[in-house]
Formats: sequence, structure tokens, C-alpha cells
Amino acid sequence: METLTHDIVIVGAGLAGLRAAVAAAEFSSKIDIAVISKVYPVRSHSVCAQGGTAAVLREGDSNDLHAWDTVKGSDFLADQDIVEFFVKQAPEEIVTLEHWGCPWSRTDDGKINQRPFGGHSFPRACFAADMTGFHEMHTLYGKATAYDNIKFYDEWFVTSLIVEDNVAKGLTVINLKTGDMHAFRTKAIIMATGGYARIYEFTTFSHTATGDGMTIAYRAGVPLKDMEFIQFHPTGLVPSGILITGGARGEGGYLINAKGERFMKRYAPEKMELAPRDIVSRAETTEIQEGLGLESPYGPYIALDLRHLGEEKINERLPLIRDVAIKLSGVDPVKEPIPIRPAAHYSMGGIHANIKTETPLSGFYAAGECSCLNVHGANRLGTNSTTDCLVFGTVAGEEAAKYALSNSFREIPREKILTEERRVFDEILGREGDERVSVIRDEMRRIMSEKMWVFRKGDELESALKELRNLKERFKNIRVEDKGRTFNTGLVAALQLDFTLDLAEVTIAGALPRTESRGAHSRPDYPKRDDENWLKHTLAYYTKEGPRLEYIPVTITKWPPAVRAY
Amino acid sequence: MSSEVEKIVEFKIHRFDPKQKRHYVSTYKVPVRKGTTLLDALMYTKDNLDETLAFRHSCRMGVCGSCGIMVNGKPMLACYTQVLHLESDSLVIEPLQNMPIIKDLIVDIQPFFDTYDRIKTFLIKPEDKLRKPDEFIQAPAELKRYWDLTLCIKCSICYSACPAVIDERFLGPSTYVTNYRFISDSRDEGIDERLKPMAENVWLCTSCNSCTLFCPKEVDCSNSIVDEHSLMVETGDIPRTVKDVLTSVVRYHNPTGTHPSKRMDWAKDLKIKTFPMVTKADVLYFVGCSPAYDPRNQEIARSMASIFNNLGVDFATLGTEEWCCGDHILRLGEKGLFEIVAEHNVTMFEKFEADRIVTLSPHCYNTFKNDKPYSDAGLQVQHYTQFVAEAIERGKLELSRAVNKRVTYHDPCFLGKRNEIFDAPRQILESLNGLELVEMKRVKENSFCCGGGAGRVWTEDAAPEKRPCVNRVREALELAVEVIATACPFCITTLEDAVKVLDAEDKIVVEDILELLKEAI
Repeated sequence: METLTHDIVIVGAGLAGLRAAVAAAEFSSKIDIAVISKVYPVRSHSVCAQGGTAAVLREGDSNDLHAWDTVKGSDFLADQDIVEFFVKQAPEEIVTLEHWGCPWSRTDDGKINQRPFGGHSFPRACFAADMTGFHEMHTLYGKATAYDNIKFYDEWFVTSLIVEDNVAKGLTVINLKTGDMHAFRTKAIIMATGGYARIYEFTTFSHTATGDGMTIAYRAGVPLKDMEFIQFHPTGLVPSGILITGGARGEGGYLINAKGERFMKRYAPEKMELAPRDIVSRAETTEIQEGLGLESPYGPYIALDLRHLGEEKINERLPLIRDVAIKLSGVDPVKEPIPIRPAAHYSMGGIHANIKTETPLSGFYAAGECSCLNVHGANRLGTNSTTDCLVFGTVAGEEAAKYALSNSFREIPREKILTEERRVFDEILGREGDERVSVIRDEMRRIMSEKMWVFRKGDELESALKELRNLKERFKNIRVEDKGRTFNTGLVAALQLDFTLDLAEVTIAGALPRTESRGAHSRPDYPKRDDENWLKHTLAYYTKEGPRLEYIPVTITKWPPAVRAY
Repeated sequence: MSSEVEKIVEFKIHRFDPKQKRHYVSTYKVPVRKGTTLLDALMYTKDNLDETLAFRHSCRMGVCGSCGIMVNGKPMLACYTQVLHLESDSLVIEPLQNMPIIKDLIVDIQPFFDTYDRIKTFLIKPEDKLRKPDEFIQAPAELKRYWDLTLCIKCSICYSACPAVIDERFLGPSTYVTNYRFISDSRDEGIDERLKPMAENVWLCTSCNSCTLFCPKEVDCSNSIVDEHSLMVETGDIPRTVKDVLTSVVRYHNPTGTHPSKRMDWAKDLKIKTFPMVTKADVLYFVGCSPAYDPRNQEIARSMASIFNNLGVDFATLGTEEWCCGDHILRLGEKGLFEIVAEHNVTMFEKFEADRIVTLSPHCYNTFKNDKPYSDAGLQVQHYTQFVAEAIERGKLELSRAVNKRVTYHDPCFLGKRNEIFDAPRQILESLNGLELVEMKRVKENSFCCGGGAGRVWTEDAAPEKRPCVNRVREALELAVEVIATACPFCITTLEDAVKVLDAEDKIVVEDILELLKEAI
């Protein structure tokens, strides 16, 4: 096995990873940076972000207002010191991308345009039509590939962190093209592997969004924080789950039930369709449960009606979703409402990290959706995630650079690498069991969809946990049919499933004891927010028997918890 | 929950086992419902029928660019194509072309991404402006100028379809698009730096239009490259070969460097009516420069004349007043010169009274049909294959002699890809007694360009192995045919060149359809 050495290794080449790479490269040209990604960078799920990136740019808006919207949206679970830092840094990131060439949509006088978005009380979502993440990614990729001190390892798959004495020393990585495992020796590691909504079937997420980095960190002893908070996006296209941007409502789209009624007036009379996502998704689910969904061969759905916006505005502001709806659902939004329902969309939780993106493990940083600092609390506002990736990608790049400059390489114990090779190639690839990866994967998704969806109850969560642990046992008996090394997509699927099973377990394990309803965690058996007992973050630590939970307090600076109405 | 199964579709998937270095085909039967995409079908196959099948995929909504594959010969995104829309019960699935196969449908896409390293992929501005914390101002109209070019998802479908990329000097369609995207961005100040990396290689584009045709995001790569040609022409920093072509058209109204007084030399002793002696005829025969001046292709011009005579058609030519149609000139980016020649020809068309214009070259046909000012002039124009196919269908052409040959047909891009004339040439060939028509693998929309378009027929300087024509003739040789038939003088020139390069003159000949037709009469 070849050992490769880089000062900084960034895992994941989405928005956060690429932004971190550029920040580190700008910090010092002497730092040698590697970006490892299991897909080519522009294939990362960040390209699917559509609606916008929140930042305070104009008169009438303020950092405090953005922070307040974010804190209120989070149902007061966000750490407010981090939120304040986050909103302060956001505008600079927008301008930085602008300077590198991002084709932001413009106002008539040529300035960066901003649109309204759910939960924001000012139109502060900078956007590039409805392909904001796509354009941010291609801008960043264009910039990142120009640095001589950034080396890309595209289609390399990270399997584990090498840790000793609470210090991150390196990684084990499979070069998918050859199938060989390599060790990366490094001073600092940034995890930026994104979310894991693929634990669900009906999700807005790319097939590759399997949360690998979260599990890798978790298994290396880093706690995962607030994993029970999973966001359900109100407008997943039926039947695929493909994201229909919140920008469609930002531009004025209506949500309609089977009676032709804009039902949001009963749930959020003031904000209507522009209420935060948790509220809209609950409203839609309630409508459907009460028999007010529209009927389709794919089950009941809600109608997203854009017709009154007119063809010109739809083409200018929402061209991608028009194309997607026509091509994949056979519905032209100019002529018909789009069939939608809530879809698993975002993980508020993630690798426990602080305002500097540092984790409890020395030399190990986390940014973007795989991390939890915590900006988004119990419910993230639309357009705050891309901002998060940019702001804390930058922080991670700079912090890792500082760390790398003041630390030296450590030796990687050979035994750790051999153990990992045995785990991957002997135990997973070599195993001759009789369970199929796709069957266990679908079973996991069924459990999560039935028992850990928009509403979750104690008894269902308990049974979900049992079922899931049973699945983990069954996983030990899998068989990967493809026994070759070269680009073994069967092995990759097995490794990803292995990662997601842990994440599904942590998610349920966190949700079960949280006997309250807060943000996206909605318990009909405990319908009220309980600040007295539950104004705290969940930390899940890996043990062989399953996650061990601890709790830490929420940081409140300016905004004590209040009633959350829209 | 899902809708009902509409039908069972057979997927014949071309696979590659990297360990055994073995190519093979696996056939699967996949239940297809309304809305089932090709990607859904591949995933169904992997989950239920054969877990070892390898392919790339991610976003399943047409933005990540992972899942490009060939379907019945055409490149497309698996996730963005519904199976029912393909209207076929059997699909041949192959990996993308022009890149080495790693395994099954997974190709090594690195060479594609490497081309971006040769250009600057971010705004170029003086440092002091970049240091300012303010946004740059850009009006919506300025944004609109380059917006469509930003939609490229880097899926490499254009690269897979491009004939020019077999020469590594060529950057690839999407890379030129990215370069042009920045050139067209009102914020950018790096024009010189952007022109430099393409100065020598952008001329390798043949304007075959495959990139534009297959782009899942409808990015007009082909015309972006034409616009880049224009910029290069404006700077004057262009290869000598290109300069010679343009100069010749200025001087002689043809790109061959021959004095225009010789334009009718091909017709010596044929007593063909010409303008200004004649100002009216049923058919205005637009010969085109290559058939008029190139000794080899003069034979085609004469064949057409004899077929007109055989049919008893009243036809005439513009004589020395026929100027280069300008198609190559326009694709080479000399838009001003194109306008001059086009305006001359349009004026002549107005002076000459004819029911229709028939062209020998698909290039003349294309520009008359699609480019202003021709397209505004309301011309009745046909390519000769359309004219002849009509005549055959009406039984007006007696094809008494057998042409006992095994023949393949090469679709000229400007006839096929650009104008969807696929059937007329085949109808003619199929009507010839004794002729056996064998199709190449890459046909019709997915035909592989001969490499002659956009002036490259005159400017070719690639090593023989890197010439599209050589690649194409190899494909024909695999079929063990005696003749490559085509319907374009430039295809004749390039393909004959390739036959010589491959030292295959005793195995295969290149003939225009008209020449085969003449044998049959």
C-alpha cells in the first residue's frame, strides 16, 4: 500500500470542501492541499441547491434581523454566538464568489438580486436563477482547480480516519479506478462530505448523499450532534422526490389542497407559503392525513401552483424546475400545478464542531452539512445552508491551514491500515453471505419513512430502533456479487449502506428520548416545545452497543426562547 | 406506490470486464412504467437482476452530469430521459465514446476534465479591483449575453460526440464554451489571456454540430466556437492556412486559390446554359466551389449535369457569377466576408428566375436554408439527394444497369445532423439494383464527421492518426465494403485522403452517390 502525504486533506468537494480548499490555498501557498471526493467535484450534491444563498446586502435588512430569523427558524436550538458570526460573514462570501465569476441574477440597476424565502423577513436570498448551488459550485471549481497547491483525488473513497491519542493522523482511502487502498498521512483533515438524506427513499437528495464522513468521524470517536433533527422539504416532486425549490414559493407560488384551498392560511396566516419548512411540511402532511391530498397513482399529493406567475417569470426565475417538471413528471408548471409532497432534505445535525469548525479530535475539522456547529438548530431556513457551506468552509480552510503550519506529520501505525484493509476487503467484499445490499438498503428506507418521518411517536421509534438493529445484524451477512477491485460499485454501495445504517440508528436513538416537539422534530405524543428539559443539544458517541447520548447546553446571546408563530 | 407497468423493455448493455479485458453484452428485461427513466431502469437492473453492472449516477435530475451513456447510438443523460419516450422495445446501451472504458458503462473521464486546465476558469481582473469589497455591476442584459453558456454541467456528452477531440490539441466543445462564457462576461478583462490557449487549436472544430445537437442543457457549443473564430479573425492572429482560404475568397470568390474565370472549366464541352446568357430555367444548379475547381470533384459536377439531362430538366448555372456560398467562411468566423459573398449570391438569385435551386454540396444547401441573408430571401432550395430521390420516386429515372457493390453510406454532417436529411440519400442507394447497403455503427444523427467542415478540408494539418476521416474510414473498413458512398464533395476529399493514408486504395473507394447513380443509368 502506497502512503500519500499532504499537509491538509479535505474530504468532499461540494461547496464546503471546495471553499475550504481555496481558503487554505489562499492562506498560504506553502500548504500542500489534497481534496478527496468519491465523485468528480461538480457531481457533488451541492449542485442541486436551487433557491439561493442568504446574506444581508441591502438597506432595510440587518445582521440582527437575519440572525433573529435564523434563531426563530431554529426553534431556539441554534447557538446564537455562532449564528451572529455566520450572518456577519455571509455578505463577504457572496461578493467573493461574484469576483470569481458567479453569474448571480441581477436587479435592473445591475446589482446582485435577492428574492424572498421561507422564514426570512427580508428578501435576502441571492440567487442565480434556480441553479444557485450549481453556479456556486462551478465558480468554486473553476477557482479551486487553478491553484498549484491543491491536488484533486477524484473518485477516491474514504473508508476511515486514523486516530491515535485523540489526534487525527490520516485516512484510509480506496482509489476506485484501481480498487487499491491507500493511506493518506496528513496534519489536518477537513470533513465536508455533506448530508445523509439517502437513509430515506423519498428524498431530494442525490444517490451519493450517504453521509460517509459523519459515520467515519463517529466511529473514530467524534460525537454526532442533534441528529434527530432532519428537515423535510415541503416541495419534493412526485414521484421522484426531486427538489422543487422553495424559490417557487419565494416567487409567489401557492400550495393547494384537493379542495382548491390555500391551506397555509390555517397554519401560518401571516407568512402563508413562506413559513419555515418544518411548518409547511407538517401542514402538508396534516392535509394529506385528513384526506385533503390530491390523488395520483403515486399516492396523495399537494399541488404547487405557479400558473399565475406567468411563463416569462417562470422562464427567467425558475427555468430548471420547469424543465425538470416537464421532463420527469410530464407536467408543465406554466399550464398545470406541480404535484409535490414533503421529502427528506437536510440534516440539521452532524459532526460536533465549534465556531472554528474544530471537533473534539485534534487536527480534525468539519464544515457544511456533515457538521453541526450549530447554526440551524431544530430547523434550518431555506438558503442558509449554502451560506453555511461558504462561511464555515472558509473558516475550516483557514483554521486547518493554521493548524497545519504549526504542527508536523505523525507516523501512521501500519497495524491500523492493515485492520482497515481486512475490514473492507475481507469482511465486506470477501464475505459470502446471503443478504443483498439493495434489500437491506430498501428495508432501512422503509423503516425510516414509516416511523421516523415528519411526525414520529415514541412507540414507533422504539420499534424502528429494534428493526434497525436487526438490519445491522443482517448486514453482517451480506454478499457483494462483484468480487473485482476495479471500480467496484457494489462494494461502494455496501460501504455506504454500512455508514447509513449507523446514521439511521443515531437519528432514531436521538429522537426517542427527546420528549418534545421542536422544529423538525415533531412528536404527536409530546406536541409542545419543552424548554425546561430539552433546550439542549444531543451528542451521540459511538459504542459497540449503539450510541451513548450526552447533552450540552444551547448558547443564548440576545434572543431568549419565545413563542414561535408565523 | 407506483403506476402500472406499461411494457417490458429489453436492455442490451455493452460491458467491459477490466480484469479479463473482455467486452461482452448482457441483456436484461426491465419493466417500464410512466416516468421510468433510463437511470431508474439501470438501477432496477442493478438492484434486482445483476448487481455487478457498473455505471455512474448521482443527482438524478440532470444537473450533476454523472450519467451520460450511449443509447441506440446517441449520447444522453440516463436520468434525464424517460424510457417510454424512446419508443423502442429494445435498447442498446453503451459507454460514452472518445474516452477509455474503465468498466461497463464507466469511462475514464479525466482527459475531459484535464482540458479545463488549459484555460482560465475564473474572472480575470486587475488585482486592485478584485481587492475591493464591492460587487461588480452587471446589467441583466449583460448577464443574458453569456447566461446560456453557464448552463454546461460538464457531463462530457459533447466530448464524447466530438470528432475533433481525437486530436489532443483540441480543447473540447465545452471547454471552448467555458472560455467564451468568460469572454462574453462584461465583468471580465482577460481577453488576451483567453484567446491565447485556443489560437492554434480552435480551428480543428469541424462545425459538425454534434456537441450542440446532443447537449442535454441545449448549450450552443458549436456557435460559440464560431464566435471564437470571429474573435481570432478580428485579431488577425490566425494560421496561414486559414488566412489563405479567406484571402482566396476575397480575391477569387472561391477558397481554392483558382482564378474565377475557371469556374466553369468542369463543364467544358458539356454545353451547359449559364448566366447571363440565360436568366431563366426550371432549376438553378448551384455547383459549389469544390466540384467546380477540384479536378476529382469536377466528376461529381458532371455527373449531376448528365442526370439533369437524363431527366430532361431545364437547368442552368450562374457561371462565373456563382460565388462561394460562404458556409465555410461563416464557420471560420469571417462574418463580414460571408455577408459580402452571400449578398452577391442573393442578388444573383433575384436576377435569375428559377423554380428552385439545387445544390451539390450540403454546405451550400445548409447556409442557403439557415443563415441570413439567404434564409430571409425565401429561396426554394434542395440538396441534390432530395431532388433525385423525388425523381426516382416518381419513376422518372430509369435505372437499368445493376451496381453490384457492397456499399456503406457516410452521412455528411451538414446534410444529416444540421438538416435531418437522412432518408433521401439512402432511398437513392436502395433503389440501385444489385447494390447492398451496409450501415456503419455511427449513422444519421450520430454519424461521425469526416473532419472537413468549417474550412478544415483546406486547413488540415493534424497527424494522420488524429484526423477524423481516418477514424471514419477505419470504421467502414471493418464492414468489408467496397465503397463508401457519400453526398458531399468535402467528405469525398477527406475520406479519399484517409483511404490513401491507410494505404487501403485496393480495398475501398470513396464515391459520391451521383457517381454510383451514373453507373446505374
